[in-house]
Amino acid sequence: MVDQLPNLGREAEMLSAMGMSSIEDLFADIPAEVRMTEELSLPPPQSEEEIIADARRLLGANVALGERVSFLGAGLYRNYVPASVFQLVTRGEFLTAYTPYQPEVSQGMLQAMWEFQTLISELVGLPVANLSLYDGSTAAAEALTCCVRVHNRKATQKDTVYVSELTPPDRLSVMYNYCQGAEINIKLLRHHPDGTLDLAGVAEAAGSCGVYVEQPNPLGILDGGLSQLKEIIGEHTALIVAVQPVSLGLIEAPGHYGADIVVGEGQPLGSPITGGGPIYGIFACSKAYLRLMPGRIVGRSIDVDEKVAYCLTLSTREQHIRRHRATSNICTNETLIALMGAMHMSLLGPEGLHTLAVRNMTACILAKQKLSEISSITLPHDKSHHFNEFVIELPGSGKDCLAYLETLGIIGGFDLSAWYPERTNWILATFTDQTNANQIELLVTHLAVWASSQGVDA
Amino acid sequence: MSHLFEFNGAEGQGYSQPAPVLPESSIALPESLARKALPRWPRLSEPEMVRHYTWLSKRNFGIDTGFYPLGSCTMKHNPRVNEVIAQIPGIADIHPHQPEHQIQGLLAIFYEMQYMLEICSGMDQVTLQPVAGAQGEFTAVRCIQEYFRLRGDTQRTKVIVPDSAHGTNPASAAMCGFEIVEIPSKADGRIDLEALRAVADETTAVMMITNPNTLGLFEPDIVEASAIVHGVGGQMYYDGANFNAILGITSPGLMGFDAVHFNLHKTFSQPHGGGGPGSGPIGVKSHLADFLPGPLVEQRAPVGEESNTAIDNMWYGWYQPTHTIGKVQQWHGNAGAIIRCWAYYRRYGRGLKTMSEHAVLNANYLRHAIHKATKAAGVDSMVRDGADAVVAKHEFTLSLAPALEMHGISAMDVAKGLLDKGYMAPTVYFPLVVPECMMVEPTETESKETLDDFATHFAEVLQVDAETLHAAPITTPVRRVDEVYAARNLCLRHPYDDE
Repeated sequence: MVDQLPNLGREAEMLSAMGMSSIEDLFADIPAEVRMTEELSLPPPQSEEEIIADARRLLGANVALGERVSFLGAGLYRNYVPASVFQLVTRGEFLTAYTPYQPEVSQGMLQAMWEFQTLISELVGLPVANLSLYDGSTAAAEALTCCVRVHNRKATQKDTVYVSELTPPDRLSVMYNYCQGAEINIKLLRHHPDGTLDLAGVAEAAGSCGVYVEQPNPLGILDGGLSQLKEIIGEHTALIVAVQPVSLGLIEAPGHYGADIVVGEGQPLGSPITGGGPIYGIFACSKAYLRLMPGRIVGRSIDVDEKVAYCLTLSTREQHIRRHRATSNICTNETLIALMGAMHMSLLGPEGLHTLAVRNMTACILAKQKLSEISSITLPHDKSHHFNEFVIELPGSGKDCLAYLETLGIIGGFDLSAWYPERTNWILATFTDQTNANQIELLVTHLAVWASSQGVDA
Repeated sequence: MSHLFEFNGAEGQGYSQPAPVLPESSIALPESLARKALPRWPRLSEPEMVRHYTWLSKRNFGIDTGFYPLGSCTMKHNPRVNEVIAQIPGIADIHPHQPEHQIQGLLAIFYEMQYMLEICSGMDQVTLQPVAGAQGEFTAVRCIQEYFRLRGDTQRTKVIVPDSAHGTNPASAAMCGFEIVEIPSKADGRIDLEALRAVADETTAVMMITNPNTLGLFEPDIVEASAIVHGVGGQMYYDGANFNAILGITSPGLMGFDAVHFNLHKTFSQPHGGGGPGSGPIGVKSHLADFLPGPLVEQRAPVGEESNTAIDNMWYGWYQPTHTIGKVQQWHGNAGAIIRCWAYYRRYGRGLKTMSEHAVLNANYLRHAIHKATKAAGVDSMVRDGADAVVAKHEFTLSLAPALEMHGISAMDVAKGLLDKGYMAPTVYFPLVVPECMMVEPTETESKETLDDFATHFAEVLQVDAETLHAAPITTPVRRVDEVYAARNLCLRHPYDDE
């Protein structure tokens, strides 16, 4: 601890300057009845070397995805993040700054976030983006409460939103928590067996405050029908689309087919998975939602010399000004991770994004081709388009299959019984820019072996 | 180049990637799915990109740049080893859906963090899931809400907050659907027990309070306040924003609180990154533990094959609390931030008290040094304490109201003058209960010399004439920014030529 405390050993000198004699004098205002009487029952202090050794031992005991051949995605994706992103983001001026309340000495981060807003705005096809929410789930949940604030007055179905039943259950759970305080009623939208949205069912959502769908959906399916949604639900019901940002190098930006709010897990652009956080949530919207949206926004302005300068703006929506009438309680967000996203996006450029999307989608197509040749497994949504993951239906338990693959050094995907308990034989396999043809071959070979053994046992 | 969108290299050039596994022609998207025009992103080569962001970084001020006494934000040094640790593949390249046996090391660290926070706070169970302090507040108030619902105690519709509370407190409680009752502080900035008694009744669900309070003062009547709220059947919520002042000295548990959030990024240092990420775990007493968002980590002896991957012969597994409110973040919280804070806590271990002692020592020393320096410079009449107190805790407030009355110099003017001296300015105009407030928090990682120098420079700024100060700052990358212009002429993205 010595290396972190410059004044260790100088306490007496500092206390005497204040006319005090003991550290205890500084805590004289804390009543005896609430004082801790014993030392914290924690281990002794460690040096940097001991800490890093322990960290390497404990974290080294984990199986990093890169140590195996991994097909695990389901919402978070192991894409390559360029080395320069990591090098630049650890510059202390970015890393150790706080929220840019003093714009004169925070122009770097403010401008970087204004640029981030532009990059996201262009990516999703909407004019406004904030500088991140916590993750995709909180962005989705805040989109629901936001659309109720905007539309409730004119809505014929007050306090009601419609959410795709194909929303990851953990994300749906976050939505319920965020919506219950405002007494928002969440109704679910049905899907066809092929995994596409039942557009006839969406008609009943007209007159509600908003409709939430995902493109691709959590089963990896790209649904062309979503481009008709805005026409079905009409002007006074918000269309909210959650995206996988990399897919937008190939797939139409929701803002171009009428989406009012676009949210998403920003992670595939700029951030490692990191156990699920810190990552960043994308939130973009059309101008009609601007003054009731959550989160921080940077505006371009001028200084007293009329030089271009950036500052936080529209803060009157926020908790530090508006308190209990704020649009959200969010204060700390994920700025630094959004900065990593901006760096990755600026390096990719438009064509780089397109190439990245092509690498994901072609890996997925190749895997689909190869797996569809195995007679003992089926691909239940074979007829649909997939971006970078799809469901494999097995002739036995998904859990057993993944355990078998693990013995061969393969993380075979996500056991969908975790989301849908009745789907004990469904796994979701993911193919990204980090997937090569040999790995796909390996998966196909071993899945075939396992699947045929299931047939024999049966 | 003044901004990113001026970089526009040749199409199709730039960032190189391996060839796809199949030709692009294998993708046959229907019209309804295919993107028609790519985003109008800039085109930069790596050298251009590196120089752009390096240039931006030089226009930004962090703790590494200089002293950052931003009250309430706890801008302490961030040990660099924590950044190295967070890049180890065993955290950076871990997926939250991996099965338990593949992440025993991560779960062991989560368990240790739950335990450490329980010990420090006097709470019975901690969840690490909330990803920021405000989300921790929301989560804890949600748990309390469900606790009352399950008991059929549905008339509790009110949450009490002092007028000096952080804005997140009322915002978080309102998001849960509660009505907010704000009570005034006493003239000395402390909680007014009579005002609390007047509003506390059978409709009270929660009282939210931070201690030390936002003026940096310990609330001596906290036990009595807890008794009043508990007396009407309400719950006490501890905003842990100022927890770094009291570690190992007292605890929310001892003060009578039922629930608490921790700002791990403040108390245990995770770089604030210009506004995040953070981490906002919560701890609760046993009667609320069943409502926490899951999964939580438990420890037990390994069974069968579990021994193969167990850590120090212990098995770590997830479990769901019986009446869990569900999730507040889709995954397992900000694991990367939790790892950094684990590394930070390990540096102090049972000596965390020393950290708090030095945070309080430095704050009081700086307060004393500022008064001494302003007196020596003959400008002590321009500034007074924000609240009367013999000692402050980890931060203190000053009021520049006399400077405004005497010379037309506002707290903001002084803040801008300090920028010209090479400092980040203290927090200004918060808490609202102090006129022309300046809130100063030096943290424990600043040397006596830095504090002495700051006091001297602070006094120097007060000697500057009003006209000059109104024009400050003059040495910064830009001068005073027109925030009204920004709001009236909204420009929230790059205006492309055709717009």
